[in-house]
Formats: sequence, C-alpha cells, structure tokens
Amino acid sequence: MKQSAFRKGATGIACFFTCLLFLAVGTLLLILKPSELLKALLSAEMLYSMKLSLLTASISTLAVMFFSIPTAYSLSRFDFSGKSLVRSILGLPMAFPELVLGLSLLLLFGQTPLGSGLEALGLRVPFSKLGIGVAQFFVAFPYAVRVIYSTFEGIDCRYEQVSRSFGYGDFETFRNVTLPMARGGLFASAVITFARCIGAFGAVLILAGGSYMYTEVLPVTLYLNISYGNLEMAITSGVLLMGIAFLAILCFEHFEGEKS
Amino acid sequence: MRALRKKELEKKGLKSRALDRKERVGQEQAMAFLEVRNLELNVGGFKLHDIRLRVEEGDYVAVIGPSGSGKSLLLETIIGFYSPKAGRIFLEGCDITAFTPDKRQISIVYQDHVLFPHMTVFENIAYALQKKVKDKARIKAEVERIASLLEISPLLFRRPKTLSGGEKQRTALARGLVVRPKLLLLDEPFSALDVRTKERLRAILKNAIREYSTTVLHVTHDFDDLWALADRVLVIRNGKVMQEGEPEAVFKRPSPNFVAEFLGTNLLKGRVRNREGNFTVLELEEKSLAQASKPELEMESEAKSSLLFYSADSGKPGEVVSLSIRPEDIILAEKALESSARNMLKGKVKVLTKKEHLVSVSLKLESGNKSDLSAISKAAQASPGFKAPACPDSKVSEYSDSKASGIELKAVITPTACELLGLERGKEVYAIFKAANVKIIR
Repeated sequence: MKQSAFRKGATGIACFFTCLLFLAVGTLLLILKPSELLKALLSAEMLYSMKLSLLTASISTLAVMFFSIPTAYSLSRFDFSGKSLVRSILGLPMAFPELVLGLSLLLLFGQTPLGSGLEALGLRVPFSKLGIGVAQFFVAFPYAVRVIYSTFEGIDCRYEQVSRSFGYGDFETFRNVTLPMARGGLFASAVITFARCIGAFGAVLILAGGSYMYTEVLPVTLYLNISYGNLEMAITSGVLLMGIAFLAILCFEHFEGEKS
Repeated sequence: MRALRKKELEKKGLKSRALDRKERVGQEQAMAFLEVRNLELNVGGFKLHDIRLRVEEGDYVAVIGPSGSGKSLLLETIIGFYSPKAGRIFLEGCDITAFTPDKRQISIVYQDHVLFPHMTVFENIAYALQKKVKDKARIKAEVERIASLLEISPLLFRRPKTLSGGEKQRTALARGLVVRPKLLLLDEPFSALDVRTKERLRAILKNAIREYSTTVLHVTHDFDDLWALADRVLVIRNGKVMQEGEPEAVFKRPSPNFVAEFLGTNLLKGRVRNREGNFTVLELEEKSLAQASKPELEMESEAKSSLLFYSADSGKPGEVVSLSIRPEDIILAEKALESSARNMLKGKVKVLTKKEHLVSVSLKLESGNKSDLSAISKAAQASPGFKAPACPDSKVSEYSDSKASGIELKAVITPTACELLGLERGKEVYAIFKAANVKIIR
C-alpha cells in the first residue's frame, strides 16, 4: 500500500528526534570509563547527595501521595464552589518555571507570618533540608494530582454507588472499592512523583540553597560540579538521574498499559 | 406471580408488611410499599417530570420506554444516587427522600454488571453482606445458598474478568439479592446477553425472586422480559409516566398513541358503524391508518371504500375510536380459512423483518371488503373442504378489486411459519384475528 506524504513526514520526524535523544543519552553514558564512573559514584559527595536525594524524595513522595489522593478524589467526585479555580491554581506550577515556584516559596516561608510561625516551632524551611522536601512537594504535587485525578475519572462512579447501596459509607467505599481499583494508577503516580521529586532543581536551589554537602541533592551536585569544572561528578549525577527517570517511565508505562 | 408470592409469604408465616401498613393507615388509602410522589429531577439533560408511582410489596414491575426517556434515572433516584428537585419517595411508609443510598436497603443490578474487579465472585457477594452480617460462617452459608440458587457455585473463586456475560450477570444478581433488599432495581440486566442465555437467566431470576420474596423494578427494552417476569408495567417517555397497569392490559389497550407505537401494537383509527349481536362493527377508511399520531393520517370525513373490523368491545355508532391489535394475535394464512375468528383480511406482504427468534410481517391490506355474508371470497370458496360460516355475519372479506387500501397491519410469526408460508415481498396472504383481540381505545 502506498504511504501518504503526511504519514511519511510524521513518522520521519518521530524517528529523527528519537535518534537525536538516543544519541544525547548515549553520549552521557559512554563518555566516562566504567572505572571513572565507579570512582565518582563512591565519592563522599556523591554518596551524601544520593542518600539525601533518596531520603527527601521518598518523604516528599509519601507526603505528595497522602495529600494528592484526597485532593484528586474531591476534584473528581464532589461538586463544590470554586472547584474550577482550585483546579486551575493546582495546575499553575506545571505551567510556570520551577525557579519562579522556588522564589514564591522562599518568599512565603521567609517573609510571611507563616514562615516565622513555623520557625518559632523549630521548623525552618528556607535554606534547610526541610526546604528541599517542601520544594520537591510543590514541584511534584500538581503532577500527582493530575495523574490520580485521571485515574479516579477512569473508575465508573457506579462501583461506588453499588457499594454504598450495601450500607457502606463514603469513606468505607473509598477504602474498599475506589482505592483498590485505582491501585495501578496510584502506583504509577507514586513513581512519577518520586522521579519529579528526585529531579527537582530550580525550586530546590532557590528555597533550600545549593550548599555543598548540606542541601546537596543529585541535581544540585550536577550543577555545583559543572560550575567547578568537575565533569566526572557532573556526568555521574546526570547518569544517576537519567537511570531513575528511565526506571520511573518504565514503571509508569507498565501500569498505564495494565490499566488500558 | 404477585399473588403467588403473597401466598408464599403467608405460608411461611410472614404476614405481609404491606398488610400491616394498611392496617396502620386504617380507613384512608394505604400507602403503597414503594410510593413515588410528584418526583422532579433534571440531571445532565435527562429529566423526570411529575413521576407518580405505586408499587405493592412483592410486585415485579417492568419499566419500559424509549432510550433516553429517564428509566435508569428513575431507578438511580429511587436508590438515592440523585436527589430529586421536588417530590418524595416513600418505602414501607417511611420517607426516604433525604436518605443516603446506604440507609435505603435497596439494591441495584446494572446491565454491565459493575462487579468489583479486584474481588472474586465469592468476595463480591460476601462484600454486600459484610456490612450487616459479622458472623463469617453465616456469610459463607448465605453466599453458598444464593450461589447455588443462581447456579454459580463453581465460579465462586474466579475473578469477574474470567467470567462470561451470563455468569457475570448471575453474580451481580446474587450480590444484589443476597442482602435481601427491600427493593431490587434491575437496569436492563439482560440486554447484553444472547437469546438463550436471556431465557435461562429469566428462569433463574424468577426462581430467585420467589425464594427471596423481593419487590422488583426492572428497566427493560425487551418485551420478553416483561411477559416472562412482570406483573405490572410502567411506560415512561421523556421523563413522564405515560401508562401503567398489568402487562396484558397495557398491551391490549395502550392508552396514548405513543404507548401503542412504542409497544409495536397495530393502532388503527376508525368509526363505529353498528352493532351486530355481541360485536361492534368498525369501519376503517382508506388512508385512515395506523400511526394515528401523524396528523396527515387523520380520518377523512368521506371515504370512498372501507375495511370492516369486528371487535368484542362495545361502541356507539358514529363514534370515532382507535383500534389496538397485537401483532402476536394475528394469524397469517395462504388461503381463506374457516375458523372461529371474526376478522379475515387479505393483504400483500410489504416488509419482512427478522427480530431475534421472530419475524415481523408488515401487510398492506387490500381495500373494498364488505360486511356481507354472501360475499365469501372466491379464494375461500375454492379452498378444499371450505364451508360457509354458520354465523349470520360475514367472516370473510371480499375484495372487489385488489387496490391497496393504504392500511397496514403488522403480524409476528416464527421463522418456521414464515418458511412454511413461503412469505416474500408482494405475496398475498390472509390476516386472521379474533374480535376479542380487537380492542377499542377511546
């Protein structure tokens, strides 16, 4: 069958950019010798950065999931005044630069009574490890809400209604029916959230600062080492971030495939 | 079926709750088991308008109507998924309008089953019970009992995705029934199933309903469901109840034109000519046909020739009425037959439509029949063994010419009968039906 010029053109563009991306990724992987990569991986700075990244991203992911599930559920199932406004505001961080988000958070936690109140309680957010988690939370939260919202939207309300007709209340139905049915979507969302948290840079840099071996997470390691001209460390942190992103996408695709 | 169930209840020593209620209410009109009063609702373009409904305990009510008429919406409002804009819903004399679905003790079964995919068949059924019954052994016993009744015992530990459509529907029915709901709502439960599975499921459901003594509201498009299961029928159109009553009464005497059209009844317009003994003779004028809802088909005041129909219903001479004849009540024959039926009309096959296990035959009747005893058709006389009817009235129509009258009649026959008669477009046949099956509607 003869293929149309449009079909050929579209497929050609897709193949060209996939090749370009593959080359870029391949370059990152191939430029260092395995021994150099291992040496950089085992350096104190990289180990610290990895540990801090994993710890903060894990805690942030838990927090994001804990708050995004009820948020997405209420947006999907309940009608309340100002719902569309809430939806728009929650989606904003996806549209504007992370640096702006970081600056906004810095001002919120540094210049307002909220920040001073938290500080009085011993919770200092700006230029602290807590700041890393807060920045990661706000970067990943809108994405998580979006993914979980679409998961809940994909579940027919009648499952919940049938459950309620058997005498179960709203929360019991949510726990027994909705959550198990949304399991795949929730897991996919957690994976994406984790990847977003571990890769968050701009907001983390502005709110938590890029202090060497203090608020240094993997993207900050990459940034700092590029600034010093230490290419090995920069590339190693890049490889790590890419590996995490790749695994996240694999998991996401797996669960999305299962869902469909 | 309703009377049978009431008898069974009494046999079991369970005095009907409806009877108790009647006693409570005393001399005034007793509140029905389920009573819907002046229900108004508007959800996403679908509307319910001034719905009034009375269902007695043990009733099996079929709700029919065209797609988008608000049948499912009515069920979902009764169960509490939607709050009505106005009106009240009473169940067992209690106003449940403001109750959440978990407080109503009503179950619903959907066409697409809505089985929880993360649970096995056993878990799906047990889940319905677990809120009320805490004793695990009792839950197990109840699940096994309903599973055996609905013939799904071997499927208990399978997931819904591994079941066939019929198996899924039986599981959904088991889940809906196991809680012994006050009211069971069925939203087209058999629509997606093949004819044989449907028939089997109807029998199984009938048995289960009898066993669990449940009152049922069943939305359906399939008239076979209605005949097999229902003891009352409710016809809805555009969110309004058009007619309700016993199935036979509704089918024989569909009151508004819409109901007749929807039910597939032959609805003809005519004028009462005279009375002949116990029969009313009706004159149908050319082009005065059937679809009475269409203004262009209104009766003309002066007709050139007419067709005569005999009805066992009474009528006043000169009165303009509608006639209802069920397609199933019409017999088709190749030749004029001697029989007890008072109406025998000749026509040509216009359209043959196969519908599942039946064939719908649309006939264009020929004009010019006369109510004259001597006017027995040549075809009838020519047929071997034919005897002139003994009754003083004409049973056989004579066709002075073969001009089509413009009047159409639909009959329903089996494919075997269709084959035996060798029916095809343009073939001449006789439509025979009893006067008792010609219902006069005013």
